Amino acid sequence: MTAVQPDSAQTNRGYAHPEVLVSTDWVAAHLDDPNVRIVESDEDILLYDIGHIPGAVKLDWHTDLQNPVARDFVDKAGFEDLMNRAGISNDTTVVFYGDRNNWYACYTFWLFQYYGHADSRVMDGGRAKWEAEGRGWSRDYPAFSGGGYTAKEADPAIRAFRDDVLAQVNAGAPSLVDVRSPAEYTGEVIHMVNYPQEGAQRGGHVKGAKNIPWAKAANEDGTFKGPDELSALYAGQGITPDKAVIAYCRIGERSSHTWFVLKYLLGYPNVRNYDGSWTEWGSMVNVPIEKGA
Amino acid sequence: MDRQSSIEHILDHFENPRHKGRMADADVQLGGGNPGCGDLITLYLKIGDEGKIDAVSFDGEGCTISQAGGSIIAEMVEGMTLAEVKELDSRTMMDEMGEDVVKSRVRCATLALGTLQGAVKLYEQNQQRATVGIDAVIGDEAIRFEN
Repeated sequence: MTAVQPDSAQTNRGYAHPEVLVSTDWVAAHLDDPNVRIVESDEDILLYDIGHIPGAVKLDWHTDLQNPVARDFVDKAGFEDLMNRAGISNDTTVVFYGDRNNWYACYTFWLFQYYGHADSRVMDGGRAKWEAEGRGWSRDYPAFSGGGYTAKEADPAIRAFRDDVLAQVNAGAPSLVDVRSPAEYTGEVIHMVNYPQEGAQRGGHVKGAKNIPWAKAANEDGTFKGPDELSALYAGQGITPDKAVIAYCRIGERSSHTWFVLKYLLGYPNVRNYDGSWTEWGSMVNVPIEKGA
Repeated sequence: MDRQSSIEHILDHFENPRHKGRMADADVQLGGGNPGCGDLITLYLKIGDEGKIDAVSFDGEGCTISQAGGSIIAEMVEGMTLAEVKELDSRTMMDEMGEDVVKSRVRCATLALGTLQGAVKLYEQNQQRATVGIDAVIGDEAIRFEN
């Protein structure tokens, strides 16, 4: 199989790894490329049914990516089964897009990296940009099948667990990025009337974490900001490439967006996503929590 | 309904919502939502003398299931007594929207119903307040949350 060329429109934007980013134009030109599989991953589980990029397959972060019993992802064998059902082979170029500024597209991209898929890319601007440009949606459900996908062992270098976070906190001067909104970070937001927020028992943030909301990395149209702006955003809070950075949010989806920015757009060598995030940390006994700004 | 029929039913309510919009002269209103995922909804009710819902509307923004749930529940409860509304539960929404479709998003599917029942409770509290001369509480509309 011939390798799918990167999107040449990305190469001069100054990102560290432009090969992981594609434009809506690039996707539109590759709709019929048999070496490319387009994957939609949304928070809204019915958006795909309303309409999706022609030929795109849906991977639901909840029902497809998660272990149905334990709070964890599908294991290696489960990931291989998923790839075979989606018609993805080891040398398929997979392009992710989705709602909410690509939160779950980045989350699914992250899981693909976790299991070592060779060629994964994200469509800049996600579903909203495709729609804003008046490009077509399809309601056809493509059927794919495959076999023989072989995943790599899970890569611990991109995933953080609670003990990793605790070790940073206990060592002092942690490089933790809390990408939630300021109200969540300070602990102001716990729940709204009649609808307690699911998840954590306590409000606040991991002791020592810096609050850099994910949205600061995105433009109004959902695309990623340029490298200079991004670099200034994180370096300005002391989150620099020489550090072992851990990003977290509520369940790890928004922090996947930030993880993608730091690791691929800025090229930070050591960045992990803490998918346990606040729903875990904010419910654990005897861990350091801070409230306020 | 099979899964595809359920999806079509939900999409119909999402794309062609019934009873959608603010109600300026509601007897009671209440907002609900989940700041974690950004679903917001406000239910507005006018209650008749016989304890029946004379008019109902909803407004909000959020995912397909949460907003379709507002349309479905509003269409369902118009004309119901408050006692009947209180007997509805998550099973009601599962049956209406298809358990297979919404089982992983139960909180979204029941957002409108839970908010509606909260509004009914607030209305009944207001009735009790009136008996001792305390002003009614109109209730808050949902507030957009930045996430």
